[in-house]
Amino acid sequence: MNNLLQFVIRYSAFLLFLLLEVVALILVVQYNENQQSIFANSNSIISGKLYKLADDAVQYNHLQVTVDSLSAYNAKLEERIFNLERSIQKLIPADRPLDSCILLPFKLIDAQVINNSINQRNNHFTIDRGSNDSIRAGMGVISPHGIAGIIDQVGENYSVAISILHSAARISASIKRNEYFGSLVWKEVDPGHMILEAIPRQADILVGDTIITSGFSFIYPKGIFIGTVERFWTEGGSNYYTIEVRLHEDIARLNRVFVIDFTENELTTE
Amino acid sequence: MNTESIRHIIRAVLILLVQVLVLKRIGLSNSWIWMHGNIFIYPVIVLLLPFRLSRHYVIVIGFLLGLLIDMFYDTIGVHAFSLTATAYARGLLLSYLEPRGGYQLSMSPTQYSMGLNWLVTYTSLCMVIHTFLFFTAEIFTFVYIGQIVLNTLVTFFLSMAVIMVYHLLFNPKT
Repeated sequence: MNNLLQFVIRYSAFLLFLLLEVVALILVVQYNENQQSIFANSNSIISGKLYKLADDAVQYNHLQVTVDSLSAYNAKLEERIFNLERSIQKLIPADRPLDSCILLPFKLIDAQVINNSINQRNNHFTIDRGSNDSIRAGMGVISPHGIAGIIDQVGENYSVAISILHSAARISASIKRNEYFGSLVWKEVDPGHMILEAIPRQADILVGDTIITSGFSFIYPKGIFIGTVERFWTEGGSNYYTIEVRLHEDIARLNRVFVIDFTENELTTE
Repeated sequence: MNTESIRHIIRAVLILLVQVLVLKRIGLSNSWIWMHGNIFIYPVIVLLLPFRLSRHYVIVIGFLLGLLIDMFYDTIGVHAFSLTATAYARGLLLSYLEPRGGYQLSMSPTQYSMGLNWLVTYTSLCMVIHTFLFFTAEIFTFVYIGQIVLNTLVTFFLSMAVIMVYHLLFNPKT
């Protein structure tokens, strides 16, 4: 007993070091396993406030970029309104969106990105909207030129979203021209590219093909423009193409985003 | 709370602010260098703690500081892991780098009292340990050892440059 006590006193610094390292490793592993940060609340409140302050300070420099991207988005909206009006006039049942029977129309909540990262393995960004603005975990986040991420943790006034540049992000995407679909993952190539997997070999793909969201998940509606095919190949012996997609949105300059809110309609029997 | 500890706390807060508000933002661009590198200046807080501070305090400070940085970087545990190890290694390195007469009470781990050569050796050894363990814990498997080494090298040189600029510019005395 005496020996043990002396051992502990002699190596107390080393033991303290070991203890704290084990605690840190447990934190790392837990965080990696279920993406549930214990810091969810403090993250959204303490660092959220600080980031908001800093973001306000540099916001002015980004005004020109913001204005450009907003006006581009306005133009796209006009175009969509025009197309919608035309399809309403035609009133062909086939033109109705597939999910209209189970979902209410989408609502978009606009938000601003106040903290962002692109150079880690698992990237997140923080937006200045939270549960007070009816944000819920699992909602999709889109940006003027593509998709941005999925809401992960929601605080009262801020929420943290998993960026599409995250090792756990899998987005169901399809090729617009022939409707083959696969899942889009980030293989840490670089922040401008993602990999579209599981497109079968018989699909005909051209460089420059448009990649859109497939609408098979309840996160993103169908038809949001993600990017274009840059190159494609088959891994040796595989029956599936690996397609490198150039993202249309520059995640590094993410600023104004829209959170997609859709509520499930209660099923009614007629 | 004497003036010295207050000075250390104020410096720690300022360095933390620079780290999370300025240096973290610099990394937000698409270029190759920021894909593989970060700039870490915050280990300086641990490295600059006085010689006579007990090892236990240094380790606990390193751990808590790492957790704080983790909150801002959304990397729970990774910075805490590497900074705790750095804080422990600091004690071993200090006894390894001890000058012939031992450390005097008036000395502190700065260029002012130990000279530039000693400071560069001490800082770079600590930073190699810190950056290597950081990327090991972040990537969490040795399968990507090439990537770990590449990231470590890029980050190490960027961080060392910034830290040495800090030392030469402000020349902290304690």
